Amino acid sequence: MFFAAAFDLPSAPASTGIAWPDVALSFFAIVLEGAPFLLLGAIVSGLVDVFLPAGTIKNWLPKSKTQGVFAALGAGLIFPLCECGAMPIVQRLIRKGVPPAVATTYMLAAPALNPLAMFSTYLAFRNQDPWLMIVLRFGFSLAVLLFLGFWLIKLRPDQMLRAETITGSPRPAQELSPNPGLVLTPRPGASFGGLQQFTGAVIRDFTGVLLFLVIGAAAAAIFSTGFNRDLLAPIGHSVVLGPLAGILLAQVLCLCSTTDAFIIAAFVPFSIPAKIAFLVAGPLIDLKLYWLYRSAFQPRFVHGLWIRALAATFLLTLLYSMQP
Amino acid sequence: MIARQLSYFAPAAVMSAWATVMLHTIASGHIKELLSPMFRSYVLVAAILLMLLSALYLFLYEPAAPTPALAPTGRLRQLGRWAMLLIPIIAASVLSPAAFSSSTVVKRGLDSTYQMPTWNTAGQANAKAVVNSDSNQIAPVEVTDLISISQKPDLIKSFDGRKVHVVGLFNGQGGSSLKLYRLIMWCCAADAQPMSIALSGNTTGDWKNDQWLDVVGTARFPSTLGHVVPEVEVDSIKPTQEPDEPFLSP
Repeated sequence: MFFAAAFDLPSAPASTGIAWPDVALSFFAIVLEGAPFLLLGAIVSGLVDVFLPAGTIKNWLPKSKTQGVFAALGAGLIFPLCECGAMPIVQRLIRKGVPPAVATTYMLAAPALNPLAMFSTYLAFRNQDPWLMIVLRFGFSLAVLLFLGFWLIKLRPDQMLRAETITGSPRPAQELSPNPGLVLTPRPGASFGGLQQFTGAVIRDFTGVLLFLVIGAAAAAIFSTGFNRDLLAPIGHSVVLGPLAGILLAQVLCLCSTTDAFIIAAFVPFSIPAKIAFLVAGPLIDLKLYWLYRSAFQPRFVHGLWIRALAATFLLTLLYSMQP
Repeated sequence: MIARQLSYFAPAAVMSAWATVMLHTIASGHIKELLSPMFRSYVLVAAILLMLLSALYLFLYEPAAPTPALAPTGRLRQLGRWAMLLIPIIAASVLSPAAFSSSTVVKRGLDSTYQMPTWNTAGQANAKAVVNSDSNQIAPVEVTDLISISQKPDLIKSFDGRKVHVVGLFNGQGGSSLKLYRLIMWCCAADAQPMSIALSGNTTGDWKNDQWLDVVGTARFPSTLGHVVPEVEVDSIKPTQEPDEPFLSP
């Protein structure tokens, strides 16, 4: 009944159902905003492919996986990346020998611990106790990331990754390339000092992840357009349901981590724990990211990640919400 | 043979199509209804790069040799994947309207669930400038200026009763509550949020939801249950053209 009301399904007047032209507008806006960043990520991935030997990256990394997780969290702070741009780079790093647990922790940390996200949080909450919001957002994000990182290091690569992400090898049938629809046959004598390899890597990564951006944007557009946000207002200040409402809103709105604070800061009906739940859960996973993650990871792993990320966020924000 | 040729040209076709859609969106001005100014140049750069990549692909790669590895269904799956990259973006570019419908606007919280972002220093400075303008003249204001003023008691005191000129979208909500609103866009239209003021007084006219209106009237800031709702007591109201920037960006 709640979801029927949330989407104005049959019980409501037909005129207030999902407006498909609005879904098209929302979808178009999301893909136009995300595609340039995805292309940037693919270009960086191509540069890594051509100019960074696998051995060099391995030498940079700590030998132990646990230390690798901490290094990945640090890298998330130092090398901020948006969610869309991170995907091709992370896939490339895994194929270059970076342990999947470390690369995945970086993928999650880059948008969540992003200094730009913290700065935008400060700006957004400037008149609403900004330092408290930054400390809570950063602290809770770090705690959830550590929890996820220690879960990730227990997993084998084949439990996490799709076969094509592990190998990335251009087999003749291309069944295992990151984009099975792409058959790249180099023109003889046209390598141009790595340009051919670079172009192939960029096209393969861009078109491979683009498909999942399209699917994720479609899901995000339907939910963000059809969902009636006012329905969450009555529970936004509830001790238990408030954080849940924040997490739910983050899942359907699918905002970038550098933007989300501006939206939620202006959302009056939400308590601080609900707002923090929104800010912590959103950069880790949402409807759009679910599909983006599916470009590299196995569905079962993505489901596990989703449940753990949201459960940990809920527990932390609930504890904060329950304090006297 | 044809399927093999299609497979070869598909990446170039998809990248060129995306670049063309991006360039057309910029050239037609539709991008103003989709992305905030900061992101528009990124789309232009991406479009140029995608065109370049398409050309490089055709120059550096050749059609694959015939291979028995893929069954016809596999080839169809490959082509279906390219179609999924091609069809939605073209369909969205054709079907996406200039603005959200009133049903979506209402779902996004047209009423009082949102407040004007307090971080918006430019908006606050603008609101102060409006308040300090010549009180004998009609003050041209945005909907957001009135909302910013409504959050500062000292500004309300100075501005209450001033004649204002404001442009926005109409929402009648079944005739019970008349509102003039603008959509605030942070990054893209998907995150756009409506901000509204109330209309009272002489609002006579057959106004439709989501119609652009030009309103002249008196600014009022009545308080209901401790919540100040900015309102314009209308002297004159008439339809107008969509402004150059239909969304407001903070």
